[in-house]
Amino acid sequence: MIILFVVLPLIVAGILPLVGKVSRRVLPDLLANATLLGLLVYAAVAGRALIAGGPVLQQLSWLGEAVNLRLALDGFSLFMLLAIALVGLAASLFSIDYMEHYGAKANYYALYLVMIAGMNGLVLATDLFSVYVFLEVAAIASYALVAYGLSHDGLEAAFKYLMLSVVGSAFIVAAIAVVFGMTGSLDFAAAAAGLQELNAGPVLAIASAFFLLGFGLKAALVPFHAWLPDAHPSAPAPISAVLSGLLIKVSGVYAMTRIFLNIFGLTPALSTVLMGLGAISMVIAAFLALGQKDMKRMLAYSSISQVGYVVLGIGIGTPLGIAGGLFHLFNHALAKGLLFLTSGSVQQATGTRNLDEMGGLAKRMPVTAATNLVGALSIAGVPPLNGFWSKLLIIVALVQAGHPVFAVIAVLTSVLTLWYYLLMQRKAFFGKLNEKWAAVKEAPFWMTVATVLLALLCVGIGILFSTTVSTWIQPAADVLADGIHAVTGSWGF
Amino acid sequence: MTPKMLLLPILLPAVLAVVLLLLPRALRLVRDALAIAGAAVLLYYGFVFFSVKDLRFNVPWLGMGIDFDLRLYHFSSFILLALAGFLILITIYTTAKMKGAPREREFMAYVFLTAAFANGAVLANNFVPLVFFWEGLLITLYGMITIGGRPTSGRTAVKALLISGFCDFSMILGIGLLWSVAGTATMSEISVEPTGLAAAAFILMMIGAAGKAGAMPFHTWIPDAGVDAPVTFMAFLPAAFEKLLGIYLLARIALDFFKIRPGSGLSILLMIVGAVTIVLAVLMALVQKDLKRLLSYHAISQVGYMILGIGTAIPIGIAGGLFHMINHAMYKSGLFLSAGSVEHRTGTTELKKLGGLRRDMPLTAFGFTVCALAISGVWPLNGFVSKEMIFHGALESGYTVFAIAAWIGAIFTFASFLKAGHSIFFGERTREVPEVRESPPAMVIPILVLAGLCILFGVYNKLPLTLFIQPILAGHVEAGETVDFTGHALAVFNPVALISIGCLILAFLLHRYGFLKSGRKAYLASEPMHNLPILHQAYDLAERRVFDPYEQGVKVLQGLSVVLYKGIDRPIDFVFEKVVTFTGEKFTGILRKAHNGHYANYLAWCLAGLIIVAGVISLLAK
Repeated sequence: MIILFVVLPLIVAGILPLVGKVSRRVLPDLLANATLLGLLVYAAVAGRALIAGGPVLQQLSWLGEAVNLRLALDGFSLFMLLAIALVGLAASLFSIDYMEHYGAKANYYALYLVMIAGMNGLVLATDLFSVYVFLEVAAIASYALVAYGLSHDGLEAAFKYLMLSVVGSAFIVAAIAVVFGMTGSLDFAAAAAGLQELNAGPVLAIASAFFLLGFGLKAALVPFHAWLPDAHPSAPAPISAVLSGLLIKVSGVYAMTRIFLNIFGLTPALSTVLMGLGAISMVIAAFLALGQKDMKRMLAYSSISQVGYVVLGIGIGTPLGIAGGLFHLFNHALAKGLLFLTSGSVQQATGTRNLDEMGGLAKRMPVTAATNLVGALSIAGVPPLNGFWSKLLIIVALVQAGHPVFAVIAVLTSVLTLWYYLLMQRKAFFGKLNEKWAAVKEAPFWMTVATVLLALLCVGIGILFSTTVSTWIQPAADVLADGIHAVTGSWGF
Repeated sequence: MTPKMLLLPILLPAVLAVVLLLLPRALRLVRDALAIAGAAVLLYYGFVFFSVKDLRFNVPWLGMGIDFDLRLYHFSSFILLALAGFLILITIYTTAKMKGAPREREFMAYVFLTAAFANGAVLANNFVPLVFFWEGLLITLYGMITIGGRPTSGRTAVKALLISGFCDFSMILGIGLLWSVAGTATMSEISVEPTGLAAAAFILMMIGAAGKAGAMPFHTWIPDAGVDAPVTFMAFLPAAFEKLLGIYLLARIALDFFKIRPGSGLSILLMIVGAVTIVLAVLMALVQKDLKRLLSYHAISQVGYMILGIGTAIPIGIAGGLFHMINHAMYKSGLFLSAGSVEHRTGTTELKKLGGLRRDMPLTAFGFTVCALAISGVWPLNGFVSKEMIFHGALESGYTVFAIAAWIGAIFTFASFLKAGHSIFFGERTREVPEVRESPPAMVIPILVLAGLCILFGVYNKLPLTLFIQPILAGHVEAGETVDFTGHALAVFNPVALISIGCLILAFLLHRYGFLKSGRKAYLASEPMHNLPILHQAYDLAERRVFDPYEQGVKVLQGLSVVLYKGIDRPIDFVFEKVVTFTGEKFTGILRKAHNGHYANYLAWCLAGLIIVAGVISLLAK
């Protein structure tokens, strides 16, 4: 019943506006969080048993007739489902208190669940057209969510996000059309097999470039990144957390790697381009983050930089590199989600995102400060937190694969990362308490619960990293390292 | 007993450490009970593991031969048991001694964290986990010294951290070399000839192990810590845990990883390190006027015996070294705990201010006396047995000079303990110290247990020798040769033992001479020695830390740093300060200016990116 991952949030999203007429707060809170919790439990508990015997396939049927929508669950999709459910749940727990003053909670949760359904569907899709459909489902929900506060900034950012994102989608459709034209099929397995026979170099290059533009834009790789630092900070904090933690990875990195590694097959040229884009994003965005005064903008640039690491790791194409990249994806989802949530707590308590106006908040908000520190150190790659291990894996993989220059760049960038995160810590949480904030209180209960949950995960995964890697990351990396055989071999119906 | 059980000695104390740290102050009794119960569980499992002896827990970790590999076998189970034994005694002692002290909870947490790391280091069978646990000990070392709370505690902690860090760094280098020579990081599979690169690896790793144990010249933080750190810390780490770990690793290096032969250059190197450590440290110990500093120097000097014993590469010498390790841990821990007990009641450990305490604190006095006699090697205590074995080993190696050095050490050890014991517990009461009572049972019991063990291991030395020590050597002697040293353990009528006893008599006469000469003031009994023409200058220089490589190194570094600061640092700083930050800021500035919010621009970048990406892919694809 893997369709549940798509259908359940959609159904609940459909009911929610009606429920909202009856109960403004309690029922929507309960329904939305219960749905996400259910998905998390399902993915975490039943998921591994489901795919123990190979990928699970499901053909949808309507009144006994097969519909042209097929879903598949393999190691890679399961891993992504887990990440989506985990960060999604944390962000929606956070919303219980945070969205209180935005009003119309039921509608908010409805949009939120549509976005989750879109991401889940994208991860489970087995043909290029479904990829596009689910991509748009998630994206359209996210445009509305970015503007949810109806502030001037939010509306402007949502509009900008919409414009650029539509361009990205257009190129994705174009690339899909090229693939369809060449192979006559949109199905992953058939397209992969068809491309293998065709050996169509130049056309494939154009398709790859279009995909790179489209997915690169969704993943915010430099130079396709410029919409993100506007869109992510303007959104409500839990939405920023999900956009930065999940959406750019699902609709950007996941879709890109699925198509490049499992359908096109990673050629050396593609590998070089991916690593190049990853490295450029990593460095440029780190510098940009350094120059920010706005806490959430700094986090947004940091997201671009960290996605660069992920793409760099996956772009190496060796099993270790892929595992490192995916592990970093997971860790970054947790840590960046955590950081955006804590930034939301700070913003709600102080009313500002400007780092220069903060100072000494650790005294008033000890839990927020501590969890923020955990997230920051994790992304900066300080042992024994989870981010350290994934960066280490990427760097080791780079050295092993014979790319010492990239390895050095990765190390130096992590120094930059540590630098701007320490800057953030110093300005926001340490030092003398700014007198303006003498009356500031710790964040409300559910907000704290959400951040503490993510912080504990960061620490726990750092300590139990080998278990995490072997149970969750390795199966996912195996699928990708298998190349096109992963889909041609077992995904045929 | 599943292999997973091997995680218990690592995880249980680590978890306990966190719990102890988090328990609120009001629940002191719960905390103490929990700590003692935890230590008791560890001790119980210490016995269980010792009876099991053969267990291996191996999970792949990072790949490339780096596994999380734990191995329990005779030697490691013995050390594990010893560590657990000391842990429970120290825990009991701490509940009384640190009661109400500042950062008390932190201290207890550090104790258990140290135990977790130490157990991990002993069980590790792969170099990477070994280094992980070994380095972890640095954290607790630093933390515990700062708890001393004196103005100089922080400085001493840094000193200890740097010296230990240097030794650990050498060890890591050595491990790296050995890894490349042997081709594996699994410790139980390594056995190489110590030639060429491997010899360098041996020396580097030896620095790591001997440095952990506190051998010269990596000892200088110990006397400072003796004054600046809590005395419980001294009994715990430098006296017991670090000796056990350092000597364990040294024995592993000399016995397992490298095939060291008697008479080889590396064997002689080890013996020289041992002999020099014995003599110089005991000479420093002799003239100390503070009990804790005196004990600290002895903690260094006694390491010399262990290294000398292992360095002989002769079975009886190695066995003596290892036996001395466990003996030393017991009596030195007991001595530090007695010092703590005295300090607890009188508030001082300066010999001058103390006197005649045997009537007020009879149990402490008894424990101290037994331990002091044991460390001096008085028949029939355990120190006598292990020292005799080392003397025999040194003589058998053919280098009599090392045996002579060891005997010189024995003379001054006894002399300095006569001085210390005489000044504190015997003689007349002093005015500085008012009427005092015996320390609470939680402090006295550990001392008495240790003293009792010193007697047991001496009189009934067959027990530890056959149970613990001899099996370690089983794989390392020629086939057919017996490994039984119990025969002449307590024998008195042989030349070696007679010379040793002669040394003790000489020490007694020296003490008596000094005592009478200084006007019946016991704490001045070492003054004649102190005032000998050349020695006096040497002592003065030593007191001014001229011989302390760390202090000298710091001075040299400071001089160097001035030069570097003016000559190189400022210019480089200019590059960083002005050039790098300037270009960095400019770069960031340009990038920020480019992000001006006009999405037409952003779109243009995307398209430019598309063209470049498409171009690069097509170019590379050809």
